[in-house]
Amino acid sequence: MSESMGKETKQNSSKSDKKNINHIDNSIESQTDGPGSILEIKDLCFAYPEEEKRALNHISFQIKEGEFLVLCGKSGCGKSTLLKHMKTPLTPHGKRKGEILFDGKNLHEMTGREQSQRIGYVLQNPDNQIVTDKVWHELAFGLESLGYKSAEIRIRVAEMASYFGIQDWFYKNVAELSGGQKQLLNLASIMAMHPDILILDEPTSQLDPIAASDFLGTVKKINRDLGTTILLTEHHLEEVFPAADRVVVMEGGEVLCMGTPEEIGEELKKQNHEMFLAMPVPMQIYAKVNSGKHMECPITVRDGRNWLNAICKEKQIRPQEAEFFGKDAKEKLAKEEIILEAKDIWFRYDKDQPDVVKGLNLSLKRGEFFALLGGNGTGKSTTLSIISRLRKPYRGKVLLEGKDVRRYSEKELFRGFLGVLPQNPQSLFVKKTVELELFEMVGGTKEKKNEEYHLAMEKCEAVEGIVKVTHLEGLLHRHPYDLSGGEQQRLALAKILLLRPKLLLMDEPTKGLDSYFKKEFAEILDLLKKQGVTIFMISHDIEFCASYADRCGLFFDGNIAASGTPKSFFAGNNFYTTAANRMARKYFPMAVTAADVAEALLDDSRCV
Amino acid sequence: MKDTFSTYHPLLNMLYFVGVIGVTVFVVHPVILAISLFGGIAYSVLLKGWKKTVKFNLIFSIPMMLIVALMNPMFNHYGVTIIGYLHNGNPFTLESCVYGLVMAMMLVCTMIWFSCYTIVMTSDKFIYLFGKIIPALSLVLSMCLRFVPKFIREAGVISDGQKCIGRSTENGSLVKRAKHGITIFSILVTWALENAIETSDSMKCRGYGEKGRTAFSLYRFDKRDILCLLFMGASFALTLFGFSKGYTFCQYNPKIIVKGIPLTAGSLLVYLAFLLFSVLPVVLELWDRYQWKQRRKQVEKAEQANYRLWEVQD
Repeated sequence: MSESMGKETKQNSSKSDKKNINHIDNSIESQTDGPGSILEIKDLCFAYPEEEKRALNHISFQIKEGEFLVLCGKSGCGKSTLLKHMKTPLTPHGKRKGEILFDGKNLHEMTGREQSQRIGYVLQNPDNQIVTDKVWHELAFGLESLGYKSAEIRIRVAEMASYFGIQDWFYKNVAELSGGQKQLLNLASIMAMHPDILILDEPTSQLDPIAASDFLGTVKKINRDLGTTILLTEHHLEEVFPAADRVVVMEGGEVLCMGTPEEIGEELKKQNHEMFLAMPVPMQIYAKVNSGKHMECPITVRDGRNWLNAICKEKQIRPQEAEFFGKDAKEKLAKEEIILEAKDIWFRYDKDQPDVVKGLNLSLKRGEFFALLGGNGTGKSTTLSIISRLRKPYRGKVLLEGKDVRRYSEKELFRGFLGVLPQNPQSLFVKKTVELELFEMVGGTKEKKNEEYHLAMEKCEAVEGIVKVTHLEGLLHRHPYDLSGGEQQRLALAKILLLRPKLLLMDEPTKGLDSYFKKEFAEILDLLKKQGVTIFMISHDIEFCASYADRCGLFFDGNIAASGTPKSFFAGNNFYTTAANRMARKYFPMAVTAADVAEALLDDSRCV
Repeated sequence: MKDTFSTYHPLLNMLYFVGVIGVTVFVVHPVILAISLFGGIAYSVLLKGWKKTVKFNLIFSIPMMLIVALMNPMFNHYGVTIIGYLHNGNPFTLESCVYGLVMAMMLVCTMIWFSCYTIVMTSDKFIYLFGKIIPALSLVLSMCLRFVPKFIREAGVISDGQKCIGRSTENGSLVKRAKHGITIFSILVTWALENAIETSDSMKCRGYGEKGRTAFSLYRFDKRDILCLLFMGASFALTLFGFSKGYTFCQYNPKIIVKGIPLTAGSLLVYLAFLLFSVLPVVLELWDRYQWKQRRKQVEKAEQANYRLWEVQD
């Protein structure tokens, strides 16, 4: 390893601001035999116009033919900017140095036709990438643009539809597809052009976990079956790490380190880097626990279990049986304690359609954080819209502080009681800057009392307070659409919080956020909870709910199938549980998060 | 369920409707209109079923027919056969009465044929045909059809979001509701423009803008289409030939002259040719259904034979 490091640094030693970049890459192999590099980035620097700081700083690495390369790093570290450089039409404006070679040829010298054909690029949002109204037309779009003959397009389209399993929805309108199907269609329509390299920019951030896993499975299959080179950025590293040949970690526009996933684990552990937060759970646990023997960093849950077996043997920790908790144990709550109660709610969208919500009962304690988990399309979002009075159940009622939700006036309900954070924060943004956006919520910047603002506090004081709570300082003069996903989410939350809700309802707030933003978001929620706000959220994100919620519920078949504290809720489940629990359940059935497992391992009381 | 004629090449579908609606609109001969009405109703029953066809005709066609039939003699006073005088002194003539009836029938026929047209000529087919003429237009149409449902759905999402911060368009004063409506629209437009950038990126990534774009379609022109086209061509040509010869000449002003009643050899030719043309889709569908039945019977027979054989062996 040190040899290769020396070699790499020698190559780049001319750069004065080059910091401790560790190339763990096995460069001997890459330079002599083995497949040649398909894409080579040579000392790339880039700064957006009118910005001092470079978005990309002396980036150089190679991608070998047929390789599966994962690019990861905190949001805003320059991943997306880097990926956009690999396709000329997408390259942002700004000052640029260095070059990118594709197959030994400078990217700018390639014709547009050659680029669109050989470099496939899948973007983040499944909906926005689709151009036409029919699935088959979308598949053919790229080939049409390149001027292929009908007969050839017919063959290619047929091929793609068969390979990706699209036959069943080949004739459908794209509007009828689910998010996962849409993203798969995007992938298929890119693959129809037979690209040599496939670049994917956080392709699963808008998908639910099952669709995301399917999608990444297909990407892996393409890499394995067709030998297409893959360059991928991702937040769900659990899924992609086992398949990755190499990982490049970026930080602040620079390459922090690169190497195989195992090497990355070792390296980050050595540096004790905060990037670990984003790594797969087994790697997180590995990083926190020191063992006497040197063992390779586990990537998957399976590896993690083996590793844990070895550690437990060494520490002489014996397996432990899981206790069964009466999950649905109904504790009697005092009436004053209940802020929200749903009684026997039945709902369907249409008279002829099946029930979506079937006899739902739910009560929320004042000041608790309740997370409702469940599969896609089970009716979680519908439940949320019933609670927020957007939809009316045909039987049953919703009580807020003991009073029927229908008897609240609009003002009483939405100003000072319920706060609803929509799934897409963009659907709340009206103004040009973040600051105006916040003042818009309290009826303008003028310090005049009006019906939209009734607090005794001065407006700017209120806004300032919220800005502090939601960490929006420094972003006040940006355009809301220029913020990153996590920042947009926080701005939307800030807007809702200006209404001073007692009960905050959220629809998948962690969708598309990376682990730092999630952590930050959780801290904000914690602060709100301390001020007495009750939080109800629906989510797919098991790890997030396990770490931060007070109570979790599983929504299934129109009802809450089970609920309990995260520990009792997840500890008994075999499949529907966190990765940490799946890994460590044999020894520590009650450990639900990575932190729990690490703590249990470091706790010496059970060592014999 | 798709009917047989819809599965033919879009060009045939289009030509057929142009032909049949063209004749209906331009030929005011009562027998021709009756044939067209018969064909139209039969096809609409096949496509939509009895219930919907009857409902459509009761709700739209018959009131329409009455209005047009009554309006014409009220405002037109040509013709030589005067039945009486209106209260303002204008003559009420037989010719204008009859012409009103004919017009009404023509309108109903056209409406029925158009109702079939909207079912058979789906957006794909339309886009395909126009793509042949103007390639850029077909993509624009397809993108519109993609965009409109997306836009409407997003409008719902945004309106829900606004409702949840107490800004609904459903209650409050009119000014306030209008204000909230404008806010929703403004968010929607920003959202659409912002997201369109990504769509354009995606198009550029897939080589849009390169020279020599082709238009792909799933439709193939095969032997069946050629045969059908030949038949359509022949029957339509015969009809037109008859028209040009004046076998079915008719006029309503100033005097009613309707040739072809009673039947002559020439007019019979025209009627038959047009009848064949206008019932073509119905016949195709019925023939198809008949064949299916026959095949099914054969299968049943074969099964029975097997069963007996098995019984004997036992």
